[in-house]
Amino acid sequence: MATVELRGLCRRFGNVVALDHLDLEVGSGEFVSLLGPSGCGKTTALRIIAGFEWPDSGEVLVEAKDVLGQPANKRNMGMVFQAYSLFPNMTAQQNVEFGLRVRKQSHEVRAQRARELLELVGLGSALNRFPRQLSGGQQQRVALARSLAIQPSVLLLDEPLSALDAKVRVQLRAEVRRIQQELGITTLYVTHDQEEALSISDRVAVMSQGRIEQLGTPAQIYSGPRTAFVANFVGTMNQLEGTVVSMEDRVVRCGPLLLSVPDPTFNHPAGETVELFLRPEDIGIEVLSNGTQLVPGQFEGRVTSLTFLGPVTRVGLTTDIGPLLADVSSAVALNLAADTVVAVKLDSASLRSIAR
Amino acid sequence: MALAEPGRKTKVPVGSVTRKRSRSRRWALLGALPFFAYISIFLLIPTGELIVGAFRTANGAFTLSNISDIFHPPYPQAFEFSLELSALSAVMGGVLGLLVANAVLHHGVPRFIRPAFVSFSGMAANFAGVPLGFAYVATLGTLGVVTTLLEHLGLDIYPSFSLQGLFGCALVYMYFQLPLMILLMIPVIEGLRKEWREAASNLGASSLMFWRYVGLPVITPSLLGLMVLLFGNAFSAYATAETLGVSNLVTIDIANLINGDITINPQDAYALALAMIVIIVVTIVVYALLQRRASRWLR
Amino acid sequence: MAQVTAADAARPKDHRFRRARNRVPVWHVIWLVLAALVFLVPIYSVVQFSLAGVQPGQSPFHWYLTVFDDPMFRSSFWLSIQIALETVAVSLVLMVPTVFWVHLRLPGLRPVMDLISILPFVVPPIVLVVGLLPFLKNITFLFVRPEVLSLIYVVFALPFLYRALDAGLRAIDLRTLVEAAESLGAKTPRTLLLVILPNLRAAIIGGSLLTIAISMGEYTVASLLEFNTFPVYTYVIGTSTAYEGVALSFISFIFVWAAMLALYLLGRGGRSAAAVAITDYN
Repeated sequence: MATVELRGLCRRFGNVVALDHLDLEVGSGEFVSLLGPSGCGKTTALRIIAGFEWPDSGEVLVEAKDVLGQPANKRNMGMVFQAYSLFPNMTAQQNVEFGLRVRKQSHEVRAQRARELLELVGLGSALNRFPRQLSGGQQQRVALARSLAIQPSVLLLDEPLSALDAKVRVQLRAEVRRIQQELGITTLYVTHDQEEALSISDRVAVMSQGRIEQLGTPAQIYSGPRTAFVANFVGTMNQLEGTVVSMEDRVVRCGPLLLSVPDPTFNHPAGETVELFLRPEDIGIEVLSNGTQLVPGQFEGRVTSLTFLGPVTRVGLTTDIGPLLADVSSAVALNLAADTVVAVKLDSASLRSIAR
Repeated sequence: MALAEPGRKTKVPVGSVTRKRSRSRRWALLGALPFFAYISIFLLIPTGELIVGAFRTANGAFTLSNISDIFHPPYPQAFEFSLELSALSAVMGGVLGLLVANAVLHHGVPRFIRPAFVSFSGMAANFAGVPLGFAYVATLGTLGVVTTLLEHLGLDIYPSFSLQGLFGCALVYMYFQLPLMILLMIPVIEGLRKEWREAASNLGASSLMFWRYVGLPVITPSLLGLMVLLFGNAFSAYATAETLGVSNLVTIDIANLINGDITINPQDAYALALAMIVIIVVTIVVYALLQRRASRWLR
Repeated sequence: MAQVTAADAARPKDHRFRRARNRVPVWHVIWLVLAALVFLVPIYSVVQFSLAGVQPGQSPFHWYLTVFDDPMFRSSFWLSIQIALETVAVSLVLMVPTVFWVHLRLPGLRPVMDLISILPFVVPPIVLVVGLLPFLKNITFLFVRPEVLSLIYVVFALPFLYRALDAGLRAIDLRTLVEAAESLGAKTPRTLLLVILPNLRAAIIGGSLLTIAISMGEYTVASLLEFNTFPVYTYVIGTSTAYEGVALSFISFIFVWAAMLALYLLGRGGRSAAAVAITDYN
């Protein structure tokens, strides 16, 4: 399978910078997601790889060979679009066969391959249905089968699930990953849904304003965000501002409290203002009944809101170090109400600090 | 209006409510009366009169002789020429209109092209009639600007070419058929989703292959429907051809029968007009059926 | 990464990308040029032809001057304008309240209206004249007055005006506006006049311009009913003196061009005019 490398891709549309010296390497058989908000350049990058757009400068190398000189229809890549890409005048089978028809394969070869692929995506029974007779999810499965029929070296997916219902999305993304792993095909996946990216990718590239903010495994991105943007974009983050007291001891003053940040990568000099990030699930809450003392490491907080999220409830708190969001199991949350005073404990090991 | 209290049963006389509703509807219909009266007087009744008149002799007796007259010369030749002219200008306008509309919509084309073509098409489509006839006399007439230019280049288009002939007249008709087709074709081509083209290209198809397997099949019902529309448009035309001096056109024959220059034979005029209506109704029905087919693909 | 910028600027590949992006296939250019020729060559020929054939010593605008001097030119042009304006007046008085009323109170009648709006295509002018002629000949007082042309032209303009008004009414929330006006005490006619009409300005003006263009250019009925409107005058003059006919043709072209330009400019500013009208009423 092919490797893909992007070198220094730049593209502007008028005054807007869509891509700002984008560099990326995707290994053979790897599943890399481009994750970011609208306008971050992820779709532009994908379309440049596919050949529907050209950069102002930069290189795109597939198997170490420059493809920018090739027109889109010669690059042998599979692409799945967001919606409406199936040819309306052809059945599912004919759609899947299309790439092979263009390559002048015989009727039997085409039909056989189409049937195989439609089985692979779970639509073996829908061979003769027209796109308008298929649901959104089914159409995207056919689109996937169609893109795989030509045995492409690279698979590109442009927000393929964005237009579908939530339940279908969750179901289908797992299938996309399963098929990708089965075929071992190098894949680039564009999405704005961070849950989607984190759940199915080998690596995630978080993008903003035309550049990659951070590239890493889902765990690295989630637990170790390196910029404020990544921290805030991926999952919910508590964000606190503090001043470094000591670099060697890794202590930060946050309001009236001193927080210790055991993160081994802590390298901010004393006096520097830093942003501290902590996930809601890394904050613990205990109801403070009258008379109970605060244990060292705990501080006081008051409940301001309760948001039921299913298995957990998100508790909004005001504290001396600022507003916080904490996730507690919904069973525990039953004991909480607005204005309840609670003891708050932070899991310091999960605190991340980023210079202001 | 007193609100009924819960628990207290109020008796509602059902009959009077429905009577009130239908009475107000009748009043409302009165509001549309002037319009329908006008249409009846100036459109429906005259049409009815001529349909009936087609089956009457000058004295009012029932007859089929008017209808049978249509099948005697010179009328069949007139129908043949009218139908051929309409078909030719529909095909010429249709094909070129398709190609131009597609070119106008190409993404690489300068921005001003589309509004320029759309506004000029709007203008050209309204230029039909007497002025258009003289415009082409000035262009391709015996002393026309293009005619003399071609003569200088060694190409003598006369006498084989004639503005009153099939090809010449169709060429003149292009001036209003082409812009009409362009205006109506642009939305149809825009209905071809960008994703289809890109998917086809991604799967290895050239632009021609896209058109052959996806583009043309999808727009063919609309394309044919619009060409049928152009056909009807050309078939109904009168002023342009009259100015050019065309002689054997159905519309011109009808005019000659009622304007009292040579013979006045309104009965035959009625029959010819009836035949025209029948032909046009057929084209509209075909057009409607093709439009229904078209909407299936382009949803 | 910073050094890449300098290297980028030096790369010849940049121009390749820009060219590849904007490449227009040759065929498209050919069709566009061909269409442009079809549209523009006759106009050029008209201009050239109308300035030709003059005797030495005469002004190159000889044919135009001849035509302008002809009193028939002015009277026929004026007649056509009058008829066009009358057509617009009758059409608006007939159509605006009707379409308004149907949208408001008789929505079930919409399909009927849609059908009627395409009837004039089924009954082209030549056919309509055949049906009307005997009928009109008996109403001699009307038959000799040119107003009868206006009444007939209303039918030809019907499809275009109906489509414009229908679209205009569909774009505004008619029911809400009427109910708001009623709650403020206005009765229906007043509502129509003061509330709805300003919001339909673009549609009305657009439809009226099309009506004027149709009326000014109509030949079939005018010639068969023997009225000397501008197209009829053009025909008579042109079939005897080609040069003058072509000059008149150019004058017609300018007129249609001006009407369409007005329509286009209106289309650009039309929506804002309607928006201003709405805020005026707030």
